[in-house]
Amino acid sequence: MPPPSQEMLLKYRPWRGSFHGPSRAVWAIARVALGQMVHRKMFWSMYGLSLMIFLFFFFGQYLMFWLDTQISSQTFSGGSLFRNVPTQGLITFLKRGAQLDGSAQTFGNFIWFEGFIVVIVLAFVGSVIVGNDFHYGSLPFFLSKPITRWHYVAGKCLAVALFVNLMTTLPAIVLWVQYGLIDDFEYFIDNFHLLLGILGYGLILTVTLSLLLLATATWLRRTVPMVMVWMALFVLSRSIGRGLVDGMRFDPRWRLIDLWNDMYLIGHWIWGTPHQQLRPLSQAQPEYWQAAVVVVALWACCVVYLHRRIQAVEVVS
Amino acid sequence: MDSSSYLIELHHLSRRFGPVEALREVTLQLPPGRIGLLGPNGAGKSTLLKILMGLLPPTSGSGRVLNQPIGASTFGLEAAVQLRRLIGFMPEADALVPGMRGVDYVAFAGELYGLPRKHAQRRAHEVLTYLELEEARYRRVEEYSTGMKQRVKLAQALIHDPPLLLLDEPTSGLDPAGRDAMLRLLLELGRDHGKSMLLCTHLLADVETVCEQVVIVYQGQIRGQGSVRDLCARRHDRYRLQLQGDLAVYREELQLEGVKILHDNGQGDWRVQVPEGWVTRAFFALAENHQVIVRGLQRDDESLEEMFLRIIRKDSSA
Repeated sequence: MPPPSQEMLLKYRPWRGSFHGPSRAVWAIARVALGQMVHRKMFWSMYGLSLMIFLFFFFGQYLMFWLDTQISSQTFSGGSLFRNVPTQGLITFLKRGAQLDGSAQTFGNFIWFEGFIVVIVLAFVGSVIVGNDFHYGSLPFFLSKPITRWHYVAGKCLAVALFVNLMTTLPAIVLWVQYGLIDDFEYFIDNFHLLLGILGYGLILTVTLSLLLLATATWLRRTVPMVMVWMALFVLSRSIGRGLVDGMRFDPRWRLIDLWNDMYLIGHWIWGTPHQQLRPLSQAQPEYWQAAVVVVALWACCVVYLHRRIQAVEVVS
Repeated sequence: MDSSSYLIELHHLSRRFGPVEALREVTLQLPPGRIGLLGPNGAGKSTLLKILMGLLPPTSGSGRVLNQPIGASTFGLEAAVQLRRLIGFMPEADALVPGMRGVDYVAFAGELYGLPRKHAQRRAHEVLTYLELEEARYRRVEEYSTGMKQRVKLAQALIHDPPLLLLDEPTSGLDPAGRDAMLRLLLELGRDHGKSMLLCTHLLADVETVCEQVVIVYQGQIRGQGSVRDLCARRHDRYRLQLQGDLAVYREELQLEGVKILHDNGQGDWRVQVPEGWVTRAFFALAENHQVIVRGLQRDDESLEEMFLRIIRKDSSA
């Protein structure tokens, strides 16, 4: 016979309390999805890599600034080849190459590199956070609750958004603040548009990647097809675009098939970078607005597809 | 009975999917309690469940579940939220979130229902303990046995203490012991804790064990409704007889009295169906008159399955 305390536990106990609204469920869904994401070992190795990129930019900016302010008037010698070489020349060379100067190009490059890691992680975890809900029939679990399909979509998108911003927008803001602190307070005022640009570029990445992840994971469900499709979208389409425009001299609009480049263009549009100053300078690029049209069209396609695929009526089979 | 005191009340409810009419003019009034929803595949049970949960609007007609309106005009988010908070749904499919521990899965369900996180966690432990899953609660749900999966699905339906449980094939895939345990739990929840439940199944024995009321759905229509006790009373009385002697005349005599011989193996083992008011003593009296020895007599009533099929066939032929 169980002891009295255990016997009480074994009895059904009613619950009386007040319910939260369905919007709270969005956070619960996002939290669980993030938990599923961080439980993958691959996530941590990629996170380590992204941290290395961040540290490269962080200390690179600091080093460039230090070189510029401390030893730009000096010369250096090295062996018999380099005698009294002016440091300013080296600094200018490094600045042009690395673009570690708190400019739009710095943040553009940083988000570009981090974005690739984000894409790799999402390609691998998409099946875990979304595909499994379809593959293992978990969707009825969500949709039988007092939430709509859009709460479900919002929850999953929020998880992706938190991850994307943790990897791109947040460290980019840290780099912006760092440069302001090592340079001058005036930097914050003069370059406030850069902060807005970082947030805008982050928003574009967030919306595009989260909708695309949900749509492709809903469609493909398993990891291997997901990875293949994402690699095709972000690597193969990029190679084809470059081959057509740079190699075969086709119209620059062919580069619009490169989704990653489209987001990069929108990012620079938000930063206000003149179109002719886009790097690399040798590459012909489509117009900013054309890239925006492609990305918005992709969003619309994803939303329509999700609307059709995530049906509450699937709850009862 | 006052209309507000019905558990489910439907008026001329229909649902059409293109040319297919999944539900036709369903009118139903069910008091609170344990109700079995019976019907073969494609009968319209699933469509009815979807409508009752507010997941699908009816094409026409109206209704109320726990006094919450269901219908196209009331299909807003707020109405659906209110309705589904009163319902705990246990799906037939696994519907588990892989990688989650049992207790986290149930607490997560609580949060989706709108429980504050701390309440959901505490309640998850309580419900899992009640359902005798306390030792497995920290294991991942995909490692659970079929019986444990069914119980954790029941736990997530109970987490917010709903007055109504919608159970879609709750004993599906269970072994006999697991099935008995699940039915015992459901019976206890209904009888001792006042939970109303709609048990959607094709297993009549489950309905007989758990439910007080039964609704038979066939071809999108309600073909029968009543208490399980009344339904059982409509069973045909049957017997198994083991006989020895001149059986030809005995057979004729029995048939004259209205007894139907359902099965005869040719070696004196018969299965018979007797008319209403038949007394077993009559078997012996007739046997004595015709030098037949009754070596064995055993009740062998029509099963609920047989009766269910009979009702459906009768309606179809009509």
